[in-house]
Amino acid sequence: MADDTRDVKKRRLAPYIALAAAAVLGGLFWVLASSSSGTVDKLGVIESPLLGRPAPTVRSTTLDDTPIDLARRKGSWVVVNFFNSTCAPCRSEHPELVKFVDQQKTLGAQGAEFYTVLQYSDNVDDVKAFFLAAGGTWPIIRDDDGTINVAFGVAQVPETFIIDPSGVVRLRWAGQIDAVTLAQLVQQQRDIYGAS
Amino acid sequence: MSRASSLKKWPGWVLLVFVVAGFLAYGATRDAGARTPEERVQEITKRLACPVCDGESVYESANSASAAIRAEVKAQVTTTGATDDEIVAYIVQQFGAKTQLLPKATGFESLVWVLPAVAFVCAAVGLFFAFRRWRTNVDTVPDDEDRAMVAAALAADDEPPPAEPPPVEPGDHP
Amino acid sequence: MLAEGVNGLIGHSALIVGLAASVFGAAALAVGTALKNERVVKAVQAYVWLAFGGAVMAVVIMERALITRDWSVAYVQKVGSVNTPALFNFTALWSALEGSILLWLLLLAMYLAIVARRYRDRMSDPLVAWALVVMFAVTAFFFFLSLGPTDAFRPGPMPPNFNTCCAGPNPLLQNHVLVLFHPPILYLGYVGFTVPFAFAIAALITGRVGEGWLLETRRWALFAWGFLTLGIVLGSWWSYEVLGWGGVWAWDPVENASFLPWLTATAYIHSVLVQERRGMLRVWNISLLVATFSLTILGTFLTRSGVINSVHAFSGGSVGPYLLGAFGVVVAGSLILIAWRGDRLRSPGAIDSPISREGAFLANNVIFSLFAFVILLGTVFPLIVEAKDNRRIAVGSPFFDTMGQPIGLVLLFLMAVAPVLPWRKASLELLRERLFWPAWCGAGALVLSVVLGATDFTPLLAFFLAGFAAGSALRQLALATRRQGYRGLLGRANGGMIVHLGVIMIAVGLAASNSYTRSAEFSMTKGQTVQFAGHTFRLDDVVDFKTDRSVGIKALVTLDGGQAYAPAITKFTAQGMDVGTPSVKTGFAGDIYLSLDNGAKPSTGTAKVKIFIKPLIVWLWVGGMLCAVGTVLAAFPGRFRRKPTDPVSAPVPLDEQVVAAESSNG
Repeated sequence: MADDTRDVKKRRLAPYIALAAAAVLGGLFWVLASSSSGTVDKLGVIESPLLGRPAPTVRSTTLDDTPIDLARRKGSWVVVNFFNSTCAPCRSEHPELVKFVDQQKTLGAQGAEFYTVLQYSDNVDDVKAFFLAAGGTWPIIRDDDGTINVAFGVAQVPETFIIDPSGVVRLRWAGQIDAVTLAQLVQQQRDIYGAS
Repeated sequence: MSRASSLKKWPGWVLLVFVVAGFLAYGATRDAGARTPEERVQEITKRLACPVCDGESVYESANSASAAIRAEVKAQVTTTGATDDEIVAYIVQQFGAKTQLLPKATGFESLVWVLPAVAFVCAAVGLFFAFRRWRTNVDTVPDDEDRAMVAAALAADDEPPPAEPPPVEPGDHP
Repeated sequence: MLAEGVNGLIGHSALIVGLAASVFGAAALAVGTALKNERVVKAVQAYVWLAFGGAVMAVVIMERALITRDWSVAYVQKVGSVNTPALFNFTALWSALEGSILLWLLLLAMYLAIVARRYRDRMSDPLVAWALVVMFAVTAFFFFLSLGPTDAFRPGPMPPNFNTCCAGPNPLLQNHVLVLFHPPILYLGYVGFTVPFAFAIAALITGRVGEGWLLETRRWALFAWGFLTLGIVLGSWWSYEVLGWGGVWAWDPVENASFLPWLTATAYIHSVLVQERRGMLRVWNISLLVATFSLTILGTFLTRSGVINSVHAFSGGSVGPYLLGAFGVVVAGSLILIAWRGDRLRSPGAIDSPISREGAFLANNVIFSLFAFVILLGTVFPLIVEAKDNRRIAVGSPFFDTMGQPIGLVLLFLMAVAPVLPWRKASLELLRERLFWPAWCGAGALVLSVVLGATDFTPLLAFFLAGFAAGSALRQLALATRRQGYRGLLGRANGGMIVHLGVIMIAVGLAASNSYTRSAEFSMTKGQTVQFAGHTFRLDDVVDFKTDRSVGIKALVTLDGGQAYAPAITKFTAQGMDVGTPSVKTGFAGDIYLSLDNGAKPSTGTAKVKIFIKPLIVWLWVGGMLCAVGTVLAAFPGRFRRKPTDPVSAPVPLDEQVVAAESSNG
C-alpha cells in the first residue's frame, strides 16, 4: 500500500540522520574535552630553517650607539641571545648568561663571543637599567625595525643561537637556558664542526 | 495595462539579463588602480597568522613579534620587487607553518576545506531527494482507505475525551 | 589574611538563597505537576521571586563592592582600581569572568521572573510547568557556577598587594562608552534563547508538539534575536572605533561564538512560519531551538575555558569542564527527547513544490545550518588538528571569508525571491510577474555602483543581489501600506521586510568596505600636508598628554582644512599596555579613519599616520538600527491572533484568504 511504503521510507532515513548528528556531536565533545587550555611553549633545541646555512646579516648599533656587524666576528664561535626586558624567563635566565660569559672568558681566544639582540619596540632605558642592576657587559644590539628578529625567525623570547666561526648557524634553543647546558652545547658543536 | 504586462514577459527579462551581464562584465574587468604600499602590506599581513597568538592575523595583532613582521613586510614591499606570494612564503619559511593563516590543501588540514564541500553536496542531494519524494507522495485525492481511516477516527470520538488533545489528522488543511 | 567582608558575606548568602530557590522550585514544580497538586504548583511563584531576588542582590552587592573599592573581595582586586572613572568602574562588573557569570545570572533570573509572571494563570498546564522546570534548572546551574568555579565573592588576600593587583579593568574596556551597552544587550540576546528552548523541551516532554505553543515562543525568540543582532552590531562598532586596524569583524573565536546562535535563531524564526501554516518542519524547528541554546552554552565554554585563545577570551578559572558538561547534557538530553517523540513530530503534510514559500524556507534552513557548520568547523579545527597531530595551526579570516562570501550571495538571492513566493506552489509566470520590478531595482543598483566607480566581480554581484532583495522587500511594504495605510508597516511580515532592508544595508556596507577600502601610511612632520584619495591632511602638531590613568601621544591632523582629528596612542600606566585610539570622520558615503603608528615623537614633531578611506561603513550601523526597529514592528500583534492552545492546523480566517487572493493579482 502507498501508506506503508511512505512510512517505511521515512522510518529508514530518520535514524541515520540522528546517528550521524550524534556521531558528529560526540566527536566535537571528545575534541573539546581532550584539548588542553593554553599553548605549550617549546623548550630546548628546536628546528630552524637557518640550520646549516649562513646566519642572516646582523648590522645595527649597540645600546651605546656604536655600529656593530656580526659578519666581522667570523673566526670565533658566536652565541646570540634574543632578549626583551619585559619577559620574565629572559630576566630569570640572565644570571646564568653572566656565568656563561665569565666562563667563556676563561677560555681566552677559544671562548665563544656573546651578544644580546633586543626585540622590536623594547624600551632602551628599561634595558639599560636592567643590565646595570643585573650585570653583564657584553654588546647589546638594537633591532629598531625588527629585521634581525624576523630574519632569525624569533617570535617568542628568550631564544639562543649558536653560530660557528664561518658564520653558519648550528643550533637554536628556545626558552630559558642555564650556563652549564649552554657551555655543553657550544662544546658539542665545537667538537662536531671543529674550531678554526 | 497590457503593454506593461507584456513588458514583463520575455522582452523585459531578456533586456535585464543583457544589462546586468554587461555591467557586471564591464565593472569586473575594469582596472581598480594601483595599490598603495600600505594596502599591499595589509593584504599580505592578512594572510599571515601572528606566531605567538592563536588565530589572530599579523594585520590585527598588537604583539611585538607581529609588529616586527609588519615592518619586515613593509620593507620588502617598498624596496624589493617581490610579489605578495613570495613575501608570504618568506615569512612562512622563517617562522614556520604556524604562521600560515590559510590551512593547506593537502593532508589532514585539507579536511577543513573538504568537509564543507561534502556537507554542501549532502545538503543539495538531500534537498533534491526530499522534494522529489514529497512530490511523488502527495496524494491529493482521498481514496477509500483514507475515508475508512477518517471514519474510524470519528467513531473514536464517541469515547470519553483523552487526557491529551488528539493528534492532528491528515487532510485537515484548508 | 583571608577574611570575608560584609559584601562577600551578603553576596554569598544571596547566591545560596538563589540556588536553593531554583533547586527547590524545579523539584516542587516537577513533583507538583506529576502529582497534579495545584497548591504546590501555585506556591512555586514564591521560589521564582526568591531566585530573582538572590540574583539581583548579588549584582547590587558586587556593584557596591566595586564602587566602594572593597578590596576584601578578590574580584574587586581583579578589576577594580582607585582611579578608574565611575562609568568604567560600574561596567567593570562584566569585564572579567566571574562578573560576567553574575550578569548572565541576573538576566536569566529576570527572564525566569517574566515567564513565571506572564504565565501565572496557566501554571496548571503541564507544558508551562515543565518549561519553568527547565528554566529553574538552567538558573540553578548558573547559581552553582557563581558559587563554585567562578566565585566572584571569594575573599582576596588582605591587605592587597598593590604591586600585583587593583590595576583596574583591561584598558580596552576603559576606552569607550559602548562597554556599557554591548555586553548587556548581547547577553539579553544570548540568555533570552533559554525561554524558547525551555518551551521546546516542555513540548517534547509532554508530547504536545502539534500545538501553537511554538508560535507563542516565536515572539520570545524574536526578542532574543533582536537583542543578539543589536549586540553583535554594537560589538562590531566598538571594535571599529577602538581597535586601530579599521576592521569591523575578525572571525575571532569569541565573535564566532556569538554569531553561531544568531544563524540558527534566524533560521528558526523563519522556519516556524511553515509549522504555523502547514504543520511541517517540526523536527527542524525543535532542532534549531535546541541548537541555538546549545550553541550559546558552547560559545560560553569556548570563551571561558581557555581552549582557544582569543583577545576576547576571559582568562582564568576552572569553569571549562562544567560548561562542557552542561553542553553535553543539553545536547544528549534533547536528542533523546526528540528520538522519543519522533513519531509525533512526523508531519502530516508534504511540500508540494520547491518553488514555494515552504521550499524557500526549507532551503533557508539548510543554508543557515550549513553556514553554522562551516563556521563551527573553522573555529574548532585548530583543536582537532592539535588532538590528532599535536601541533597548532591557525584558521583565520581568509578561510571564513572564502566560505562566507558564496553563502552570503546565496542568502541575498533567497531574500530577493522568497518574499514574493506564495504558499504551496508558484508558477514561473507568477515569479516572472512579481520579480520584474525588484530585478530592475537590482540592475539599477548595479548600474549606479559601476557609474560610481566600483570594480571586481563579487562586490558588484552582491550589489545587484542586494538591490534585487531591497526591491522585493519594498514591493511587499508598498503593497501592504497601499492596502492598510500605516498598519502596513506593523506586524510579522511587514516588520520582517524592514529587518530584511536592514540586513541588506549591512550586506552592502560589508561588501563595499571589504573590497574598496583604500589606505596609505605617511610619515609626516609638523606643518606638512599630504594628499590621498582626494582629501588633504595636514599634521598640525604632535603633543604629549597625561591623565591620571595614562600617558600618551596624540597627533593633531586637520582634514581638508576643516576639522581637526586626534589619533593617539595611550599607555595605561597601571597595566603597562599600549592602546591605539583611532579618530574617525563618519560620512554617509564613507569614513575617513586615522590611526597613529608607533614612533611618534613630540620633540621633533614627526608622526606616522595611517589613513583609511572606508566606504559605506555607516550603512552597517544604520542597517543594524533598522533591524532593531523592524524587530520591534514585527512584534506587534497581527489582526488575527491565534490562541496558544489551538491546534496548529486550525483553519485560517476567511478575511485573510480574501486578502491573499487580492495580493496574488498585484
